Amino acid sequence: MSTLTMDRRNNLWEVTSRTIVYSAIGAALYGILLVAQVPIPGSTVSVRPAFALVPFFGYAFGPIVGFFTGLVGNGIGDQISGWGALTSWNWSIANGLVGLIAGLAPMYLARWVNGNLRDRAIGGAVAGAIAVVVGFLFIFTDAILQKMDIGTIVSTLYIPVIVGDLIGTIILVPILVYAWEPVKAQLGR
Amino acid sequence: MNIAPRYLGRGSWLARRDPRVLILAIVLFIFTVLQVWDGRVIFGLLLISVAYYSLAGIPWRQIRRNWTVVFVFIGLLVTVNMIIGGGDAPGVTLEQAHVLFRIPLLGAPISAESLSLAVTQLMRYLAMATIGFPLAFAVAPADFGVAFHRLGVPEKFAFGIDLTFRFLPSLANDLQTTADAQRIRGFDWSAGKAGFLSRVRSSVPVVVPTVVNAIAGAEDTIDAMDLRGFGTGRRTWLRHLAYDRTDLAVIGFFMVLLVVATIGGFSGAWSQVWTPQFLIDLAPG
Repeated sequence: MSTLTMDRRNNLWEVTSRTIVYSAIGAALYGILLVAQVPIPGSTVSVRPAFALVPFFGYAFGPIVGFFTGLVGNGIGDQISGWGALTSWNWSIANGLVGLIAGLAPMYLARWVNGNLRDRAIGGAVAGAIAVVVGFLFIFTDAILQKMDIGTIVSTLYIPVIVGDLIGTIILVPILVYAWEPVKAQLGR
Repeated sequence: MNIAPRYLGRGSWLARRDPRVLILAIVLFIFTVLQVWDGRVIFGLLLISVAYYSLAGIPWRQIRRNWTVVFVFIGLLVTVNMIIGGGDAPGVTLEQAHVLFRIPLLGAPISAESLSLAVTQLMRYLAMATIGFPLAFAVAPADFGVAFHRLGVPEKFAFGIDLTFRFLPSLANDLQTTADAQRIRGFDWSAGKAGFLSRVRSSVPVVVPTVVNAIAGAEDTIDAMDLRGFGTGRRTWLRHLAYDRTDLAVIGFFMVLLVVATIGGFSGAWSQVWTPQFLIDLAPG
């Protein structure tokens, strides 16, 4: 029994109490775990194992949950750190887009999403990886907003972020899928 | 583990404002700053942001570390951008720029124009961060949901924001419990792990159980919301928000700033980076 089936394609955009609660849990966990991040030497970004939660929540619970987890979770993390939830709003949107794109996996990775547990775990890693690479393209808005050199954005922001987050995503998302699926079946969902 | 947002500005002049004022102020101010590139005007906006920040009464000692992170982040970003820019600035090529010196070993040229751009970027980032701090420390966490709802965010999502803040302390507690439980088993995830992969791998025994437990435990909240008919009709909020005259004056002030910056930006008066003459004069002939 799986919630990651093709049937979900029709209710991907449905907003129920379940959607809201999973979104809030995802955002809160992401915000809390962002505190555990480790700076990458020579870069302005950090190793963020917690980031894997964004594609995982998107992949497991749909694009709305994924978008909310990334958008609000990043805002909460910035809020706790004192940076202010809205100061880096384009980065929060980029995080949200990662969750959204991972949540659309039933539309572009149907074979894996509808497969057995191993396939779904692999699908999670692939969807997460695609989502990270595509979603974070939004940070190139810094070129317009801050007149940043494209080279600077690529070298100090985009590449360090996607390398760190890709590693976290590829390792942690399949583990989370493996851990969550039996619990989900046990809960009868 | 104390992860909950710290309400350090409690009782200050800004904390007594309607929380929507602090959200609107930051939105209006960021869009104001984004349109201005003249360093002299940006400096004026930075002063305004500092004055606004001081109204939040945030004790310096408690957020010194936050400011250090901000300075390091912004400083590194702007410096790297200046070096990679290679003496260029928007609308000014290296041939047209007034090169002041070249960085030893790297050979990257630093021009009067690229230095002016870097200083302007630094002030812009600082102004935006400064205006953002009161939102982080002078708004009661429980007010965020209702504030966003009253600003037009759909009520389900506003409730989601509210719920997120409510989950923070309990989930942080769960995370601490899981970390302690693993520590008893001889695993310490906070111990210095060398390397990128080790750090990610070491997070698994703490992150995975915390996440799965949190999701599994969400059933009670979902049931409680369903039993109360969540989403079947309009919600009311316990906290009632109303602007007073001071709130409207603060919003009006930031709106005027935005309008003036928009006019200045469209007329081209403030949309170019300003390079001080003394910097140009410093460049060797």
